[in-house]
Amino acid sequence: MSDPLLELDDVYKSYGEEQVLSGVSFEMDAGDVDVVIGPSGSGKSTMLRCVNRLTEINGGAIYLNGECVTDADTDVNELRKQVGMVFQDFNLFAHLTALGNVTLGLRKVRGIDKAAAQEQGYEHLEQVGLLDQADSYPAELSGGQKQRVGIARALAMDPKLLLFDEPTSALDPELVGEVVEVMRDLAAEGITMLVVSHEMGFARSAASDIIFLDDGEIVEHGPPEQLFENPQAARTGEFLSRLETTHEGE
Amino acid sequence: MGTPESTTTGRTIRARAAGLTDQPLTLLTVGAFWTWLVVRWTNDFLLDGALIERNTSFFPTAPFESAASTLGGLAASLGPVGFPVGWVAGFFEFLAASIPYLPPLATGVWATILLTLLGIALGFVIAVPLSVARVYGGGATRSVALGYTELFRGTPLLAQLFVLYFATPLTTIIRELPTVGTGFIPAQAFWVAVIAFTLNSAAYQSEYIRSALNSVPEGQLTAARSIGLSKVDGIRHVVLPQGLRYAIPGWSNELVYLIKYSSLASFITVRELFQRTDSIASETYRYTELFVLAGLLYLALVISASLLMEYVEDRVAIPGLGTTGR
Repeated sequence: MSDPLLELDDVYKSYGEEQVLSGVSFEMDAGDVDVVIGPSGSGKSTMLRCVNRLTEINGGAIYLNGECVTDADTDVNELRKQVGMVFQDFNLFAHLTALGNVTLGLRKVRGIDKAAAQEQGYEHLEQVGLLDQADSYPAELSGGQKQRVGIARALAMDPKLLLFDEPTSALDPELVGEVVEVMRDLAAEGITMLVVSHEMGFARSAASDIIFLDDGEIVEHGPPEQLFENPQAARTGEFLSRLETTHEGE
Repeated sequence: MGTPESTTTGRTIRARAAGLTDQPLTLLTVGAFWTWLVVRWTNDFLLDGALIERNTSFFPTAPFESAASTLGGLAASLGPVGFPVGWVAGFFEFLAASIPYLPPLATGVWATILLTLLGIALGFVIAVPLSVARVYGGGATRSVALGYTELFRGTPLLAQLFVLYFATPLTTIIRELPTVGTGFIPAQAFWVAVIAFTLNSAAYQSEYIRSALNSVPEGQLTAARSIGLSKVDGIRHVVLPQGLRYAIPGWSNELVYLIKYSSLASFITVRELFQRTDSIASETYRYTELFVLAGLLYLALVISASLLMEYVEDRVAIPGLGTTGR
């Protein structure tokens, strides 16, 4: 029996008096695509940031490939080489071209020389369908293109796990499709993804599991069919029906 | 300029800068100024006066003198309505009287430029870590950086020059160094001034850079960290390249200030432009001509610096970053 790729074990996080995560536990195997849903303020983004330690936890432990990564002596930079992240507001490096964004980590973190890094960079841009925008600066790209560069940047580090923090929330509705399409391709390629998103189409078709987080606790965790068609907890049902009302017409 | 949506400061700076390059007369004047300076220095410093004897101007005074006396006579013959002609005569008189002092002042300009460039460049080297410490440092580092900035911005530059020159062993130490004060290497007072300008300018520059670093969105460093860059590398490869571009307009002000503040070095006997002007004036009593001339030379330096920074800003401009291409 091999270790799960990612395991959260009774994770607690608080900001001062405010409890954000109260004993979150779940596991993901390699190749899984888990989608985290839940009301705003429920701790989804915080949970994601705990995994690559952009946020430090207060209790419990997180394991990557069986190794505890929340120990004080864990090298966070080593951890982050293995865990890529895609941000809600892209956070593309504003002074670098699309190619420069993708290759910065290869050159400065992995120490690959410029030519080889660019070769890999072009491959990753092709993967997200943006080879023709390699020399464009972020300000010259549409929101959807920016997010695809963001995905390529995370992919370039060849991570074991990709974290998506509401990757389509900052996009105009007509630009959501291109990003979701790229994410679907990645899921089909077997890349392990932990996705915070309310993109129900993606959740239904690509997710292995849905995790419903509310008030810092996992209320329900199961395959999409079960969660969407036959939710076990009353709160899940309430939340999903609210989500459907707000997303009507999509 | 096709930048309708630039920020307020951006627009101001761009407008000012555009005003300079859009005027061919400005470029022509600055070009002539630098041609004269470079030929003068080459002749005086490198060729040992091969083109023309040192301290002899390239420009003859006789034509201006005769023009002045002719026009002066004309003004007198015109009676009460002749005063505008009198002004023109006065202008030629000014030129004729000023021309002989151009060569020594050109030597002073060389010292002024050297002082300013060394001060701003060495100050920059200190200012970058200082500003990073202010923005990203821990409690102690931040306090030290803040203390430094407050000390050097809060006390007069002249006092700093005096303390370094008279109250510290710096002057003696530098004087004992080999080659100081021989040939091309200026004497100790110059180097004390460079140190003072470096320390002082670092404090001012760090303030411009600090506020520029603060305007780099937090998400940039977060993203840098998320791909595995350390904090220092993230600052170096992501935050600074953006922050320094934001800093250019404010930083240009510091360069312009330092050109003029470098005149304070005259108080510790550095033979830069102001000191030479002052010493010639006290010998010849031609205060008006000399200080107008010195003022014009400073003005030419300042306009040159503005043009240079405008060029630099254009060269490093990135779409969507800072003041251009929004």
